[in-house]
Amino acid sequence: MATLNLNAINKSFGSAKVLHDISLAIEDKEFVVFVGPSGCGKSTLLRIIAGLEESTSGSIHIGDEDVSDAAPVDRGISMVFQSYALYPHLSVYENIAFPLRVQKMPKDELEERVQRAAGILQLTEKLDLKPGQLSGGQRQRVAIGRSIVRNPKVFLFDEPLSNLDAALRGDMRVELSQLHRQLDATMVYVTHDQVEAMTMADRIVVLNGGKVEQFGTPMELYHHPATKFVAGFIGQPNMNFVPATVLETTGALTVELDGGHKMSLPVDTSGVRKGDTVEVGIRPEHVTLGDDGLDVTVNVLERLGGISITYGTIGNGTRFCASLSGDAPIHQGKNMRLTVAPEDCHVFQSNGNVLRRKSAPALVA
Amino acid sequence: MAELSAQASQPAANTRKRAMSENLFGWLLVAPAMFFIAVIVAWPLAETIRLSFMDAGLGGEEFIGLENYQDLADSRKFHQTVIRTFYWMFLSVGIKLIMGLIGATLLNAAIPGRALFRVLVMPPWVIPVAIGCIGWLWLYNGYFGVLSGVMMKLGITDGPFEFLAYKSSAFYSAVVTDVWVGTPMVTLFFLAAMQGVSRDLYEAAWVDGAGRWYRFRRITIPQIMPVIVSMALLSAIFTFNSFEIIWILTEGGPRSATTTLIIDTYKVAIGNYKFGEGAARAVVIVVLLAVFSLIYLFFLNKINKRYGAK
Repeated sequence: MATLNLNAINKSFGSAKVLHDISLAIEDKEFVVFVGPSGCGKSTLLRIIAGLEESTSGSIHIGDEDVSDAAPVDRGISMVFQSYALYPHLSVYENIAFPLRVQKMPKDELEERVQRAAGILQLTEKLDLKPGQLSGGQRQRVAIGRSIVRNPKVFLFDEPLSNLDAALRGDMRVELSQLHRQLDATMVYVTHDQVEAMTMADRIVVLNGGKVEQFGTPMELYHHPATKFVAGFIGQPNMNFVPATVLETTGALTVELDGGHKMSLPVDTSGVRKGDTVEVGIRPEHVTLGDDGLDVTVNVLERLGGISITYGTIGNGTRFCASLSGDAPIHQGKNMRLTVAPEDCHVFQSNGNVLRRKSAPALVA
Repeated sequence: MAELSAQASQPAANTRKRAMSENLFGWLLVAPAMFFIAVIVAWPLAETIRLSFMDAGLGGEEFIGLENYQDLADSRKFHQTVIRTFYWMFLSVGIKLIMGLIGATLLNAAIPGRALFRVLVMPPWVIPVAIGCIGWLWLYNGYFGVLSGVMMKLGITDGPFEFLAYKSSAFYSAVVTDVWVGTPMVTLFFLAAMQGVSRDLYEAAWVDGAGRWYRFRRITIPQIMPVIVSMALLSAIFTFNSFEIIWILTEGGPRSATTTLIIDTYKVAIGNYKFGEGAARAVVIVVLLAVFSLIYLFFLNKINKRYGAK
């Protein structure tokens, strides 16, 4: 059992507080992704879990063991670095064997473990090469190989794909997901790329300004973002936020959007009053072309074949992006009408918190 | 048909012309450097080689063939000087490299006041060697020197101890001073190389359980190996040819205890006006250093292949 529990982790660098009271309970064999913009503290949090950085306060448990003060090697973790951190003077074999050499493992067992890792990662042919002779993807695999051989309880990945080109990143995403199934281990993965988070994670931790914005499954975050930040971060293209004034709060929430369009939205209205300003979140993929609805001026039109993405404005210049069918009859510079189902809308208060949606799609696992 | 081929050859001729002028331009660019090398290196070297076949002194020159070399080959004293020079070089360079490694490691560690220490390392290198050596002369002095004083206070010696008056203490004192002068440069080069080693490598090793010594041995040393090897060669040549330190401290004495090849050459050629014999010694130095450098470059190449493959 390798659960990972973080209890009230705080971290300050001098007077700058970078992590605020972070508590997370990560299940055994779970693939958890920390995602957030640059400087949100995700890498620092990972380094604290690894033991490379000390937390200012709080405790870390791996399994039943309190490892808060343990050296990295005694925590039962292994880490894959963004730069891969391969030893350029050692062969692939020796790179993978490095942790075992440190442990002074007997030759036979070492050989067997390195060969097994190389087999899993398709590196058997490359064992005699130096890292400099490998492609980016292969180096990445060597770095993973080095983390596998130790049979750690928890794997830590620090933005491992960010140095790869887009195509390779897609392939490696799939490989990592397969590896997770194959190894059946707990994995914590840091990235700033929400696509990686959505595609690979069992659960996602969205971090912002050193705080956990939300911890949930990808589809939970997509359908039930707890804050405006999460809503804006998860989903591609990003969610639109349209300023609106509250007209009515009994039953549904009736609002008038920037541009004059009125809608009645099925959300929990407690805490909002008539006349309040809120923001209505509408995902680009949830709108359809119609005869009435939001009046959008199309400034830029991107035809991608299967879909068309438009960037435009509504009302007083609020930016609005829409994802429509590939051959939607729209033109750059012209206006279009978009309809959106009220139950697909999200409503955020001025403090960024969401008003709970009463009807939302059932969550898929 | 003829017209066509004439047309075709026109651009070819142009290209040739341009290549010619580019060639000429290249030679013009290197000409000043070539001129200075010729005047400062090539001509003196040729002149030295010529002189080495002469019985040359203040009175004139006479061709004597290989006699000067024959004399060197037969001279036990000269053999001892060669051995002493290599001993001097290996000992001094060895200590400089080890001290440089230790110093650079300490300066690279996250200790408070690191910047200050980095500055404090510099003086031996920055102070003119002659001035530094005069300081050492005082340190080694038996009556006024602090070293002798401390030794007397501690009861190690009964009376004043003149470091530069005895054969072996003079030799090792000269080594100490040479190390003092030469270590800062080695240290700073090693420090620069260490700072170029990615932090991730150390952290990865740390996560894998490698201790300080293991990380130093398996990461730092291999990573800076090309610099270590280059510095060893540079330092070896400097030390082999080190003149002013020995000359100021002992002038090669007592009883030739600190006479290295370069001191010997100077004494013979300039001190005794035996230009021919001195030239033969100088040629031997050039050959020894050339052979040494070749062996070295061979190893450097191997090491770079082993450690430097990107």
